[in-house]
Amino acid sequence: MKTADVLSLARESLRLHRLRTGLTVLAVAIGVTAVLLLTSLGEATKAYVTHQFVGVGTNLVVILPGRTETFGVGAGITTGIRDVTLDDCEAIRHRCSAVVDVAPVSLGSAAIEYGGRHRDVRVLGTTDAYARVRVLHAAAGQLLPPGDPRRGDQVAVIGSTVRRELFGAENPLGKSVRIARARFTVIGVLEPRGQSLGFDFDELALVPVGVGLRMFNQSGLFRVMAQAASAEDIPAAIRQVRAVLTERHKDEDFTLITQDAMLKSFRSVIDAMTLALAGIAAISLAVAGIGIMNVMLVAVSERTAEVGLLKALGADRGQILSLFLTEAIMLSGMGALAGLALGLALMQVGGLLFPALTLQPSVIWIAAVVALSLGAGALFGLSPARRAASLASVEALRGRR
Amino acid sequence: MNGEELLRLEDVTRVYRVGDTEVRALDGVSLQVRRGEFVALMGPSGSGKSTLLNVLGLLDVPTSGSYILEGRAVQGLAEDALAHVRRHKIGFIFQAYHLVPRMTAARNVELPLILAGEEPAARRDKVHRALDSVGLGGRAHHRPDQLSGGERQRVAIARAMVMGPQILLADEPTGNLDTRTGAEIVALIRRLHAGGLTIVLVTHDAGVASNASRLLRMLDGRFLPDGPP
Repeated sequence: MKTADVLSLARESLRLHRLRTGLTVLAVAIGVTAVLLLTSLGEATKAYVTHQFVGVGTNLVVILPGRTETFGVGAGITTGIRDVTLDDCEAIRHRCSAVVDVAPVSLGSAAIEYGGRHRDVRVLGTTDAYARVRVLHAAAGQLLPPGDPRRGDQVAVIGSTVRRELFGAENPLGKSVRIARARFTVIGVLEPRGQSLGFDFDELALVPVGVGLRMFNQSGLFRVMAQAASAEDIPAAIRQVRAVLTERHKDEDFTLITQDAMLKSFRSVIDAMTLALAGIAAISLAVAGIGIMNVMLVAVSERTAEVGLLKALGADRGQILSLFLTEAIMLSGMGALAGLALGLALMQVGGLLFPALTLQPSVIWIAAVVALSLGAGALFGLSPARRAASLASVEALRGRR
Repeated sequence: MNGEELLRLEDVTRVYRVGDTEVRALDGVSLQVRRGEFVALMGPSGSGKSTLLNVLGLLDVPTSGSYILEGRAVQGLAEDALAHVRRHKIGFIFQAYHLVPRMTAARNVELPLILAGEEPAARRDKVHRALDSVGLGGRAHHRPDQLSGGERQRVAIARAMVMGPQILLADEPTGNLDTRTGAEIVALIRRLHAGGLTIVLVTHDAGVASNASRLLRMLDGRFLPDGPP
């Protein structure tokens, strides 16, 4: 029997019961759509998180004061509180060849006031280097000027939301504002950036780091951002920074975090989540497979006499088996195609509703889900097909099983 | 070729189990059929004639005894080997026609050729000729429910003949037909016989049986002594 004939015979019998065929195909399609949507949601989340990380600068090594135990009893508790200081920053800048830029960061919250309006903002003390490592741009005016980090003028660069809320349509450049009751001159406005990993760059005031430390009466920095020249230089940068700081502190009482490591752990969490979602969605595919089995069992018992006839006409077991198995695989194949179409359409709609998440079909998942549904068709179609093939021809011709 | 042995059964029994009781549907039957013979089997219901026809058609396997078809013992062959023999050597027609309802007349006739893996072009040709030979050339694209009983049986005959079988096994081919249509089918079978085909036909109708060159009567799984047809 030729493959083309097997396919056309299977198609003819499926066409006979359009409703039954349609419902079974629908069940498979729903399963395929679910797998496709949930996995692409996982992939989109991963892409979103990656984008967020890259958006805040690349090849960064973050230096935090205090030692974070990452294992053992008391995991996650920061012990030791020796400050990381501006002197440490200077030492890193001069002695670590793999580090191209160093941005000290102090952080506090304060009210910013202008013309009777005020707003609570994060006040971030830093240097001109911060805008470079965080890839920030000025929408108006200028960013923090270079200079001695210990000194610095009473100047501030404000985020776009701060500008809108305090100044409205008024030009903020050169205006005097009060931050924690001290006078500052606005020298620039940041380009809108939005939230990045929970930190809102639009609700921010940047001030020189020396001013920031004095303002909040802080002796040490909140953190230091050191930028390596390239991804390959990150391990060398970590080594050098650790050596310099350990030497200066006489102890490793600080923590180094790379963006890369954070990204990796985020990605592995999202991958695990995606797999779990796919697993849940695959349950619906299994249910659809049982639907196929049911339909095929009904088909075999309805067509018992036909099987007997085919045997009388000289069909062997393999031919009967392949006819019924092909019907089952066709059902799941049509379901897979319909599910793909539905899934891709829903992704388009989702992309319109949530532009932040780029829902994109992954070729690997498409291949996996198509293979999975065809496999389910074959698996669940096998038992009814074998039942048909093993019918005794005499009994079958009389329409008895 | 006529007169040469086509098949031979020797001491064939077929025993069914129905619950705790044994039914001896065939009880030591021996039979020789020569090429070109037209054998009619008669007998009351349950006499074993349909079982005998099924054994001859390799649809049923004897419990004991031997079956030689064209000089080859076939009683021990595996199921798929039996299917192969059926496909190429045996044509069946049934009382209930057994056409596939969703398929056209032509598609029904084409089925044995499809199972044999023949090329589509050759298939079309053979189907066309087979339907022409039973006078249904113009009804090729009708489904069984658009055909009369007599026409359906003609389609079944075309299907049985399309592979060029050595023997035609007919199980009450006129049982569902009125007298006039039944006579047309018998005339068709006679024509096939006249063309040299070997035929074994089961019937209740003595009129139909009278067309055969040899009449065998069965009772309780055995032949009654031969009488003149």
